[in-house]
Amino acid sequence: MIRFEDVYKTYKTGTDALRGVSFKIEDGDFVFIIGKSGSGKSTIMKLITREERPTKGYVLVDRFPISKMHNALVPVLRRQIGMIFQDFRLIESKSVFENVAFAGEIVGMSPKKLSQMVGIVLSIVGLSHKANAMPLELSGGEQQRIAIARAMINDPKLIVADEPTGNLDPQTSESIMALLEQINRNGTTVIVCTHDSNLVDRMKKRVIEVDNGIIVRDECASGYCATPPPEDKISIIQAVSKPSFPNGEDERPAVKLEDI
Amino acid sequence: MKFRALLTSTREGIQGIIRHPLVTLASFTTILLMLLLMSVFLLFSANARYITKRVAQQPPIEVYMKLESTQAERDVVISYLDQNNQWIIEYEQRTPEQNYLWFRENLGESASILDNFDYMTYLPYTFHIRLIDPSYADEFGMNMRAIPGVNKVLIESRVMDFLSMTGRWVNIGTFVAFSVLLLIAMFIISNMVRISVYSRSAEISIMKFVGATSGYIRLPYIIEGLFVGMVSAVGAWAIAYFTYQQVFDIMMANVNATSFYALLPIQSLSHWVMIMCLVTGMLIGGLGSAVSVRKYVKV
Ligand SMILES: Nc1ncnc2c1ncn2[C@@H]1O[C@H](COP(=O)(O)OP(=O)(O)OP(=O)(O)O)[C@@H](O)[C@H]1O
Ligand SMILES: [Mg+2]
Repeated sequence: MIRFEDVYKTYKTGTDALRGVSFKIEDGDFVFIIGKSGSGKSTIMKLITREERPTKGYVLVDRFPISKMHNALVPVLRRQIGMIFQDFRLIESKSVFENVAFAGEIVGMSPKKLSQMVGIVLSIVGLSHKANAMPLELSGGEQQRIAIARAMINDPKLIVADEPTGNLDPQTSESIMALLEQINRNGTTVIVCTHDSNLVDRMKKRVIEVDNGIIVRDECASGYCATPPPEDKISIIQAVSKPSFPNGEDERPAVKLEDI
Repeated sequence: MKFRALLTSTREGIQGIIRHPLVTLASFTTILLMLLLMSVFLLFSANARYITKRVAQQPPIEVYMKLESTQAERDVVISYLDQNNQWIIEYEQRTPEQNYLWFRENLGESASILDNFDYMTYLPYTFHIRLIDPSYADEFGMNMRAIPGVNKVLIESRVMDFLSMTGRWVNIGTFVAFSVLLLIAMFIISNMVRISVYSRSAEISIMKFVGATSGYIRLPYIIEGLFVGMVSAVGAWAIAYFTYQQVFDIMMANVNATSFYALLPIQSLSHWVMIMCLVTGMLIGGLGSAVSVRKYVKV
């Protein structure tokens, strides 16, 4: 489960990337985060993976309180998250197999288990036959599927994808999304940032839209939405965990569905 | 599992060395210079200690009585020595006859020229004294000179003075040069690590987001540093070893091995120098990279 509570993020440069964001994502959800360029989508992703810390507010990912967690726990958090990026981020000097195995190696998987797992995830993304290829010998779509395989090797609870189809043509994008949807059907929470509104419309999933650091829409298409209105959740969390940020600045109203 | 991580890190660390031969060479050279300096210092001070010890074992003070000195005057000297025995390891009185024999013995083959030597006329009684603390020698000699019948007092402390003075300067010089080289080494190692880290920055960022611990990411660089330190240590040791052997051969060509001024043979020192080089080199290499990789690789 992921919970954002009145989260502010101001970068060192003074840019207010997030200005009071609250939402909740349940385990097993599939959520799109959309918005114009510079609206704060990637910032939300970076807060989930603890690449950045919130300036104010409370972020909870699974059992990890992002704002106050110890640095030593960050790797533990990230092993439960599979990350996918627009630019794939494969190591060009390593083969497809090695690229995928790399993530398992780091958590200390035994070579036997590792090659077994690499086999499984490569067959899920449909690229078993490319195991010995080098990343640059693959098309963009294939590279992204390798990146998805890598994200899955440690059997994460959550997959976050920041513009995974940004560099791909519509058809390939479609197949990548289908792959992510298939992964989601097996119980993995999936969060996807994207510009591609056509894609979002067709997928009929929950959509959170950010604009200028504020959530302007959080809706569930076709009745699919695991998350009730955010106000309840905030009061429960505040009652239980007493967030450390000053309550005096909490008078900003939470974004309501009626606002849109 | 830990072992496998160590193995991977070692492989990565050694690959790092190969990837940046020039930077590695720079670190290697600086550490080697430092260790060489340290080895020279170790060799010098081991010899200085050794010679000091041997010189201290010899009678550093010789008291020559006047030729016409009386038994009563010699008794005063003996009673002075006995009263001050807390300063003295031992002393010995030599009669003119003993001095004559000792003299003859030292002349070896040409001793026959002394055959008709009237030693009672030309050789005095002497006292040979070994002090516990050589620094007390000057005051001791002054007191002895004041005793009637004493002709002169010879204090054999020049070697000691020379050794202790050069020893002091060598200590200071080594310390200064070592510190300067240490700073340079840290700077160069830090750059070695920085270049290594930057050339692998894409890989490191991937390691971070797939959940590698900082330790796992940093380990290859620390191993790289340890390895460079180790190779430098072996290099410095080898250079010191062969240079010392040359110096030893030249200096000892005309010197008996049992002489006061004999140098220690390299065999008795090489283990010590090797261990010191390895420990220091790996400490500098490993610690240097550990400190700088902390700066460049954060979660
Ligand atoms: N590391 C950073 N330092 C300073 N400012 C930043 C940093 N990262 C993002 N920003 C700023 O924060 C704001 C939000 O950025 P963010 O990357 O979250 O936008 P985005 O919605 O992902 O945009 P895009 O669709 O172009 O990827 C932008 O104004 C951006 O310039
Ligand atoms: Mg972005």
